[in-house]
Amino acid sequence: MNWPVLSLLGFTPLAGAVLLWLLPPRAARYVAAAAMLLVLFGASATLLLYEAAGPRFQLLERGVWIASLNVHYLLAVDGLSVLFLPSTALLFLGALVAHWNRAMDAPRQHFGLLLLLETLTLGVFCALDTILFFVFWELMLVPLYFLVARWGAVRGSGLGAARYFLIMLASGIPLLIAFVMLAASQPVPTFALPVLLDASLPRSTQFGLFLLFLLGFGVKVPLVPLHTWLPQFALQAPGSLTALLVGLKLGAYGLIRFAVPLAPQAALELHWLLAGLGTVTLVYGAVGMLAQSNLRVGMAYASICHVGLAVLGLSSFTAQGVQGAVALLLSFTLATGGACLLLDFLHQRIGSTDINSLGGAAKTMPALASGLMICGLAGVGMPGTSSFPGEFMLILAALHSHTGAGMAALFGLAIAAGAFLALYRKAFFGPVANPVVAQAADLRPREMLVLVVLIALIGGIGLLPGPWLELVRPAAEAWAAGLGRQ
Amino acid sequence: MPGFVEIPWQQQAGLPLLLLLQGLPLFGALVVFALRERLTAVIAGKLFALAELLLAMLVLTRIDPTRPALQLAERFGPLAYHVAVDGISLVFLLLAALLTLLMTLYGMSRGMISPGRLFAVLLLAEAGLVGMLVTVNIAWFAACSALELWAVTYLLRRWASSRAENLALIRFVQYQAFGWALFVAGCLALGWSHADAHGGYWSFDLFDLLGVVPPGKLQTAAFYLLFYGLAVRTPLFPLHGWLPNMAQHGLIAVAPALMVGVKVGIYGMLRFVLPLTPDAVLTWQPYVVGFAMAGVFFTAALAFQQTNLRRLLAFAVVSHTSLLVIGLFSLHEAGIQGTVLLAANFGLAVTGMWFIVGLVFRRTGTTELHELSGLFERIPFLAIAFLSFGLAIVGMPGTPGFDAAHLILEAAIDNFGALSTVAAALGNVAAAGFLLWAFQKAFLSQGKPGGHDVDRTLPMEYLVCGIALAAMLTIGFFTEPWLFLTETASQGVVARFAR
Repeated sequence: MNWPVLSLLGFTPLAGAVLLWLLPPRAARYVAAAAMLLVLFGASATLLLYEAAGPRFQLLERGVWIASLNVHYLLAVDGLSVLFLPSTALLFLGALVAHWNRAMDAPRQHFGLLLLLETLTLGVFCALDTILFFVFWELMLVPLYFLVARWGAVRGSGLGAARYFLIMLASGIPLLIAFVMLAASQPVPTFALPVLLDASLPRSTQFGLFLLFLLGFGVKVPLVPLHTWLPQFALQAPGSLTALLVGLKLGAYGLIRFAVPLAPQAALELHWLLAGLGTVTLVYGAVGMLAQSNLRVGMAYASICHVGLAVLGLSSFTAQGVQGAVALLLSFTLATGGACLLLDFLHQRIGSTDINSLGGAAKTMPALASGLMICGLAGVGMPGTSSFPGEFMLILAALHSHTGAGMAALFGLAIAAGAFLALYRKAFFGPVANPVVAQAADLRPREMLVLVVLIALIGGIGLLPGPWLELVRPAAEAWAAGLGRQ
Repeated sequence: MPGFVEIPWQQQAGLPLLLLLQGLPLFGALVVFALRERLTAVIAGKLFALAELLLAMLVLTRIDPTRPALQLAERFGPLAYHVAVDGISLVFLLLAALLTLLMTLYGMSRGMISPGRLFAVLLLAEAGLVGMLVTVNIAWFAACSALELWAVTYLLRRWASSRAENLALIRFVQYQAFGWALFVAGCLALGWSHADAHGGYWSFDLFDLLGVVPPGKLQTAAFYLLFYGLAVRTPLFPLHGWLPNMAQHGLIAVAPALMVGVKVGIYGMLRFVLPLTPDAVLTWQPYVVGFAMAGVFFTAALAFQQTNLRRLLAFAVVSHTSLLVIGLFSLHEAGIQGTVLLAANFGLAVTGMWFIVGLVFRRTGTTELHELSGLFERIPFLAIAFLSFGLAIVGMPGTPGFDAAHLILEAAIDNFGALSTVAAALGNVAAAGFLLWAFQKAFLSQGKPGGHDVDRTLPMEYLVCGIALAAMLTIGFFTEPWLFLTETASQGVVARFAR
């Protein structure tokens, strides 16, 4: 296969964004839909082209970008990243459905930015050159900023957008410093991940790198105490963007892809730090959820809680741990992302997702309510849902490597499940108090389609997790083996 | 100490290209001036600006940036005329030519009074700028600088846009005259030390002066005179007092763009100060960097206090100029290269932002932030361009600022310690803060009822901002040629500090 599959895939949305500027504004959303469907199709094709038993990095594309700095245009996928491509494509389609009738004032700008964001997100998952990765990573802020500032869920969302932008920009600094330090530590400065993975660095450099990475990615993950932006963002951003941000676990992906493998010795020695941060994040998210009255903010805390579990499992540094982490992150793309989308549908109907203005919503919106229940159950790792295999592997790995933290995690997950059910009960059951709720219509056909696809995937992967896990396993084993190279 | 070598123009081109490069805008200024306010004057002005840009591109094809020498050199003994270029000066030259062309286009779209006269002065200022960028004689540099300053002063007098113009003008003249006098005193100190060593033979030529680095205190004196002279011009904290006033009350875009669009102050430091006073540079490096660091944050803090968009931009300039000085005084090859790239990036971006502020002013009659609102709905292209330029200043990937910041980081990690690096990077975040804040206020906030009925973007405005934006993104994504152009020249600068 000599086609630059990943480039074609990644730049399809961008081409769509250019195309929709050439067509009348009315056509914008159809162009966006076509481009996103094409990406979903392409991402599925990539999945078929990928051979789990093959070499570590596949569908490699290499081109010189800035020769004198030795920066390359280097794209490839491995078992850790390949599944993120279709999940990204799916989530963006869901977001498009949520945006279908919104932004009719400036549809080309709106959908163009959404498509640009999709290109950049796919780029983040495919880039193997650290500078290229960083370019995609930072550029994501621009469309996000515009989308939140211009089409935010509440008045004054502009300030929230600026806050998010600045926090993320600041968190980019440690990353850039780490990447430059990493390149400078080589005899010939290089930014190519496959080369850097084979290099061995002095212990002190590794410690510096690992802490910088932890700081940089920790904000995006988000790890407590760097999480303060997320609940606010969830409140102010349009729900679909919250779904994208919460659903796509870019920060955790960064930890798996860069932080741990590039500074293995430091990671192994600082396992307590990673495990501790993971546990604190998990418990904090769960307890924080108890105190919420807004479902969207609650979902943000749920996401904090889950990603804490992934980080805790990761800190076992075993193949099982990382495999479970990837599986769980992917499942949360469906579960949390889906829940956020459903909450956005709810917000469009009621104008709020606060439980005080809901109550009894299941009576008028049974499909929405049951969809949210399924996503929520998947979110708490119910057996039979897509989250269960990953969660199970993570708990096992955590109990084995950090027994105390693993116990705390179990406890935290129980709190999270309880908190979710409590929120759900107040929002959807009981008497209908709000007249808006009483008149609300249930899901429209296109929204129903999103729901059906989500449930099918959550249930399907939950019942038959084998093939998906097998896709991740070889890469996870190579990942774990790579840590022992020092 | 390694000296400089040069390649005479006869070896590289059939014509004395640099003479043409300087002569063309002068000639253009004369022609446009002679045509007075006829329509042809406007056309001729634009054509001359375009021709100058093409000529600069021609020069680019003639030089070989991999040779460690100043090229296309021309000498004329009696006037001590001596010009030559290398990769670094070409970056600045191209920028100067591009910005002048954009200014002529912008001047049209703003519909300023007596455009013929405006274009003549603009071309004159360009001649001064080009003269500064090609000469290797420090006295000629001072003379060309005087010519450009005169042109800007005239612009401010003739086309100022508010009644407070006198204040702006007076501040400008006071500061610039003082800075210029400092610089000339520095030149004299260097010339004197040359005369001292060569039996009374005064010279201001870079090649002559390289051989006689003045001893001890004289060198320190010369360094400070030249450095502060240029620091006023650049402007560098704490000598920036003229810029905010000029930006707020003077001519909106053209005058500030001429003064800070092309960073001749930074160029002067690179070309003259670093090679001619190397020991003093090494001694005073930590203090200069310390002041620059303070400048980044102090002026960023001041920028947050501003209620006027034009004033805010002025402080943004001072803040990022301090970053340039940090890069320059890293005395590291990558740092210098990054600084040159960053200087070009800042120049382009800030000029673009100033244009947009000018266009906004034309529509609303105000640049007070609390009076502006909801402009995004009416002029989305200009809004996006404004934010893109702002992001370039912050060093967002995809703009030259990113590669430059990355190079400067590399330099700073190498020999500066991590602390200053982190501080400089945080300075960027501060800049992002106030630029976003301004953007939000002016462009994104809810339109006030009964607010301005703002005109849509005009074709000429699309053109001006589009060219600037396209140039920036092209350089940002295809940085390689520019790095190639500046690499050898940067090594040459650093060679004198080999430790």
